[in-house]
Amino acid sequence: MAHVVPSLDQPSNYKDSQARIDRQKQNELLSKSTTLYIGNLSFFTTEEQIYELFSKCATPDEGGGIKRIIMGLDRNTRTPCGFCFVEYYTHAEALACLRYVSGTKLDERIIRCDLDLGYREGRQFGRGKSGGQVRDEHRSDYDPGRGGWGAQAQRAEIERRREVEERYMDAETGPGAVAGGGEDWKAAEGAENKLKRGRSPEDEDGDDRSGTRARLDDVADHDAGRM
Amino acid sequence: MSYHGGGGYRRRQNRDFDYHDRRQEVVSETPEDRLRTFIIRFGEVDPVQELQHFAEQLNNHVIENPANVSIISEGLRYAVTEQPYKVPYYATVLRLLYDTPAIKTEDAEGVSLGKQILDDFWKGFQSYLDKLAWRETRLCVQLFAHLTVAKVITAQTMYDLLHSFSAVLDEFGVPHGRAKKAALCAAEGLMVCGATIKEDTSANVFELISALQAYVDSTSDSKTLIQPIIRLYANTEPVEIANEILDSALSALQILNASDFSQSSESFVQPYKDVTLFAGTTFDLPSILVPPEVVELDTLSTESGEDALVKKEEWPEFYVRLFDSDVTPDPTTPAGYAVRSALLDTIDIFEINRKECARLLLEYPKWTLLGTFRPRPGAPPHEPITGKDWQLESTIIETILGALLLLPEPTHKSVYYVALITELCKLSPSTVGPAVGKSIRRLYGFLADGLDVELACRFGDWFAIHMSNFNFQWVWKEWVPDISLSLQHPKRILMRRAIDYEIRLSYYDRIVKTLPEPMQAPDNGLIPSEAPGPDFEYDDPANHYHDAAQSVLDLIRGRSKAEDVMTHLESLKNSLETTDSDANTDSIIRSIAVQSLLHIGSRSFSHFLNAIERYLPLLRNVASGSLTTTGSSNLEARIDILTAVATFWKRSPHMIVIVFDKLMQYQIVDPTDIVSWAFTSGGKNSTAAHPSISALLWDVVRGALDKANGRVLVARRKVATLRKEEDEKAALTLASNGTSMEVDAEAKPEVPAEESPALTTALKAFSILTREQKAVLSRTLDGFVDCLASATSPNPNAKTVVTENSWHNRANWSEAEWVTWETWGWYRHFCRMYSPYLRSYSTTLGTVSFAKIGNVGDPAVDAFKKIWNITTGQEP
Repeated sequence: MAHVVPSLDQPSNYKDSQARIDRQKQNELLSKSTTLYIGNLSFFTTEEQIYELFSKCATPDEGGGIKRIIMGLDRNTRTPCGFCFVEYYTHAEALACLRYVSGTKLDERIIRCDLDLGYREGRQFGRGKSGGQVRDEHRSDYDPGRGGWGAQAQRAEIERRREVEERYMDAETGPGAVAGGGEDWKAAEGAENKLKRGRSPEDEDGDDRSGTRARLDDVADHDAGRM
Repeated sequence: MSYHGGGGYRRRQNRDFDYHDRRQEVVSETPEDRLRTFIIRFGEVDPVQELQHFAEQLNNHVIENPANVSIISEGLRYAVTEQPYKVPYYATVLRLLYDTPAIKTEDAEGVSLGKQILDDFWKGFQSYLDKLAWRETRLCVQLFAHLTVAKVITAQTMYDLLHSFSAVLDEFGVPHGRAKKAALCAAEGLMVCGATIKEDTSANVFELISALQAYVDSTSDSKTLIQPIIRLYANTEPVEIANEILDSALSALQILNASDFSQSSESFVQPYKDVTLFAGTTFDLPSILVPPEVVELDTLSTESGEDALVKKEEWPEFYVRLFDSDVTPDPTTPAGYAVRSALLDTIDIFEINRKECARLLLEYPKWTLLGTFRPRPGAPPHEPITGKDWQLESTIIETILGALLLLPEPTHKSVYYVALITELCKLSPSTVGPAVGKSIRRLYGFLADGLDVELACRFGDWFAIHMSNFNFQWVWKEWVPDISLSLQHPKRILMRRAIDYEIRLSYYDRIVKTLPEPMQAPDNGLIPSEAPGPDFEYDDPANHYHDAAQSVLDLIRGRSKAEDVMTHLESLKNSLETTDSDANTDSIIRSIAVQSLLHIGSRSFSHFLNAIERYLPLLRNVASGSLTTTGSSNLEARIDILTAVATFWKRSPHMIVIVFDKLMQYQIVDPTDIVSWAFTSGGKNSTAAHPSISALLWDVVRGALDKANGRVLVARRKVATLRKEEDEKAALTLASNGTSMEVDAEAKPEVPAEESPALTTALKAFSILTREQKAVLSRTLDGFVDCLASATSPNPNAKTVVTENSWHNRANWSEAEWVTWETWGWYRHFCRMYSPYLRSYSTTLGTVSFAKIGNVGDPAVDAFKKIWNITTGQEP
């Protein structure tokens, strides 16, 4: 039902350039994805602010809701670097964000949302040389929400909100570093418990599968695919 | 311009990502696609100028290839059902095509192109009808109505078509949703072509109108529950600030009929009237039957046999009116109805692309009679039509807000309407901005007159998101005098809530800066004295349990195993029992454990999830009432957990809702526990004698209800999927066994193949979850009885606030009265929001809760029962 204008929830040209899965498989995964990549965040925006805005698209009465939020961090400094992942329980909620939230403001910045293949270990970190997002290294405009003029000027401004900056100092790497957010309802103890658990794919599963694939000729950075 | 080396090749970040980045992959366009697009794009420059040429082009396409008739008809179907504002022009195109010299084709000799297309178009209409795609059906009926005025379609068959829709109103026990949509098909068709039908003596316009009248009269009870203004006393006066959609349609029709539909031409564009009158063979619409609603075959009952399939109930639709009739059209008049209906359809259809929707809404005047709307600043002036000359932007915003403020809930998610208004403001800030400002003031004014509590929340939500998109600029100053109102007055609640929501989207210091001095003063109760944050009760070294809590914190901080923390808590408890023998040591230990976990996880939502996940076994044990062993179910322990959460996050109530949600997700507590908490510990502040429900507590309760309902829905889907899989498997086995397919309907599952373990599990889950669903609904109803209509502890305020006298004296209400009034509002909302479930479980729920209710004759008890009876479809 959209012959007159295109729907805003169509996939864009955003992609995870380090995904080692072919395009067709990626599209298939995206058509079921419950995860969003959120970009152009202020470095000072908190998960609670993100939760507040993105809960507007949640449908708990249909089994949905916000499963978890994974803040994108600078690999070196462990500080937010302007992106995050929001994971819902249902695909429809993610699509609703593309229609209603993407392109609106959060913390006085216009944010963008894109369907994502889903969080995998390590993706919470920026992929730029400096540790942040690649895009910011090429930035030449003044951006108060991200600490001044690109990578060089950032350091001075960062003092401004030490509290925010220190929040993720304890961020860990490796399996289990990022919480799951709670799975679907399971009947209490018993045989069926195991049965169900076997079916829910864990993050690590995804990794194992793709890890065995031959690496495609990815562009090395996370952001290049987005320009 | 960037010349900074490496970065230079990158396109400067454009802020409008969706237009520039969200391009679709290029799909090669076929000639058929091009033809369809050509039809859809018709009229975008100037529909009247394009008419002749467009019709000729279509004709050429058919001469080129006769098979194009069906492509044209298909394109026309998309064009009509997705661009309601163009319908009269497409009617004119068809009218013109009726003149095109008959083209000789092998099977359709001498038949005009118009007729060929209409024949094919009818098939499409029939399939919309078969699917009960109501909006598409209704828009096709509009097209037929215009063609009737153009004398292309016979008046008699058009009347028969309308009559088939109005006959639905007489069906026994017709659901409101079905009746409403069928009635609108009949009414909107009649508004356009009433004059033509009335000329045709055999047809009876009066009958169509009186059928609608009779139906409208029968819906008055349910209206009291969903009108946007809360009136708790019996009242037959119509609400002034809103119009119900069927009422509006009826009123518009009555006005039209009174003047033999002479006003139709002032309400609808009729470009075909400028074409020579058609005198050829008219088209007879085939007769139709509106098919019955689809009954889902996959029924699944709960253990006690109630039907568990719950469809959202459709209620009458009240659209809030914000402006006077000289500013925006009155939808109870023909012209006003036509405008609102076209705008509402546009808002609905273009939900998939709010940016395009905003653009199309602002372009709407182009499709109306000149003079309907005041010309844009700078546009060439034109003669206004008397009684019209409305403000476009106010009309659009009023219509969008009307759709947002439908009860019990809007058609799309609230945030869609909010985002749409944002786009409109971005497109034309200088004209839309003032309309938004006026609307906010108007809605704010309604708060003193009893604006529904749910709508007040939605209003606050819109306000905050809107301000968040426009630099939080609001003239707060004008509301300063209202600081003197009662703390619980709806206006003060709204201000508090709007500020709270703004802070959630932004941060404390930013929002405080936007407020005038008097509002910043903490003793005015509008803003907290400091930024929202956690409150670890045992932080203070003077706290009696400070040391105990520190020892637990240290263990958790050091990542001790859950078992070690449990052992430590156990020993703490033992030592407390000897030193503080009168204290409730169980509760204290629970509070220390939970608050310590929250403290460790207080840095962010993720930190919270990590803390909880690491210590799930600990939380499970605490919830079961024991520490080191897994005990059985213990309500008191779970209530203690919830209270600890509320204590810890008391300065950031939003977090309470978030944490509760995850505690349910991790199955530490059940939805029913949360509701119990809300009506006992949560709803009782120390001074109040009776529990009450505020908007925040309602958020908590709703979170629990939605969780329970959502789980049932997921479980039901799982069962359905598994059953389908098994049926397919069985069919396959049967087929491969060589059994012929014909007999399998009879012979099928004499002995159903053994249920797979997966299905058994899924069915078991389903039955557990429906039981839980019933429990949580029952607990909520029970809670509201305690608040408002209890036999043993009646709330005197519940009695007074429902009376008319008291309501008129509300200027003198104290906090306690406002709080009770709000609780009534949430009870009403609970009923209408969950009515399909309540209806399905009404017998059990009613029996249990009403055993505790006070006596008939008590105004509170009567009001309580009346609302319940309307909800469950019994005599009020």
